[in-house]
Amino acid sequence: MKGIRTWHIVLLAGILGLVFVFYQGLYGNPSYIPPVIVQTAAPAITAPELYQGRPVSLSQFKGKVVVLNFWASWCQECKLEHQSLLALNKRFSQNPNFVMIGVNYQDKEELAKEYLQLHGNNFEHVRDLKGRISIDYGVYGVPETFVIDQNGIIRHKQIGPIIGDAYENLVENVIEPLLKGSVSSS
Amino acid sequence: MKKIFFFLPLFFPLLLLFTHSLSAAESMSEDVLQERTKEVAKTLRCAVCQSESVWESNAELALQMREIIRERLIQGESPDEIRAYFVSRYGDFILLRPRKMGLNLLLWGGPFLLLGIGGFLLFRTLRGWVKQTAPAPEALLPIDERNRQRIEQELRSLNK
Repeated sequence: MKGIRTWHIVLLAGILGLVFVFYQGLYGNPSYIPPVIVQTAAPAITAPELYQGRPVSLSQFKGKVVVLNFWASWCQECKLEHQSLLALNKRFSQNPNFVMIGVNYQDKEELAKEYLQLHGNNFEHVRDLKGRISIDYGVYGVPETFVIDQNGIIRHKQIGPIIGDAYENLVENVIEPLLKGSVSSS
Repeated sequence: MKKIFFFLPLFFPLLLLFTHSLSAAESMSEDVLQERTKEVAKTLRCAVCQSESVWESNAELALQMREIIRERLIQGESPDEIRAYFVSRYGDFILLRPRKMGLNLLLWGGPFLLLGIGGFLLFRTLRGWVKQTAPAPEALLPIDERNRQRIEQELRSLNK
């Protein structure tokens, strides 16, 4: 061990550090993007309701837990999660502190209506006419779902369909604790 | 009243000149606006494309992002403020050039750091090799009288 000096150890530690960082980068999920918007105030929304066209604002639901689901009729994964969304709303719709809103993303009005007629509907939907709502929420694609707490803070962002474990996690670890008043975030 | 009719022929060319200069000013500001929109849009990643900027992409989302950039520029926001808005929504991922901070510094400085370390190691290795092959000055034996005379004699014969 006579030849080993301090700078040898420092150099080795540095190289191992670099290897670790690159390993993390290479073997992590490349499509994972940290949701920076979680834990920040939910951007304001005022958009026309899909059927009547009357303006709907997020501010009118202050004090409630809001589930905001971005979807489109052309989106295949949205079809996968649609029954889960209906089940989710059915499960909590009796709670006066719960509301669910669909945001129709880059879609045509008639196609959106056709889609809901075909797959069923039990909650309100608004149209994102110029993509402002989606960009304000940092939406990359659909489906994406946000859970906003009673104080208007985004507590959860789900990228991809709410099915299986994602559904269970959303219900048990996010919505129920929020409705009970215990803060949860992810 | 006659005076008015007298100045009327002068009034119309002036009006034309005025409206023309106004429209020129408007189109110039439109050009500047377009250029500034392009400048910002080229630094932002199209979130739904593969390695394309918001300026280059024709995706719906990119078009909408360009419209937002344009509107914010009209409202007087600086390019940095607009970029900060998109970063607050999408994170650093939205920037085509990573910011020079945190772990990103490794991306910017890493190659130079590795080059420096490599150069240092190469220098040390080469110096080690030179030390091993070249005779050490102290290892040379002092020249004796007989050899000194022989060398001097040979040098003299060379000079003749």
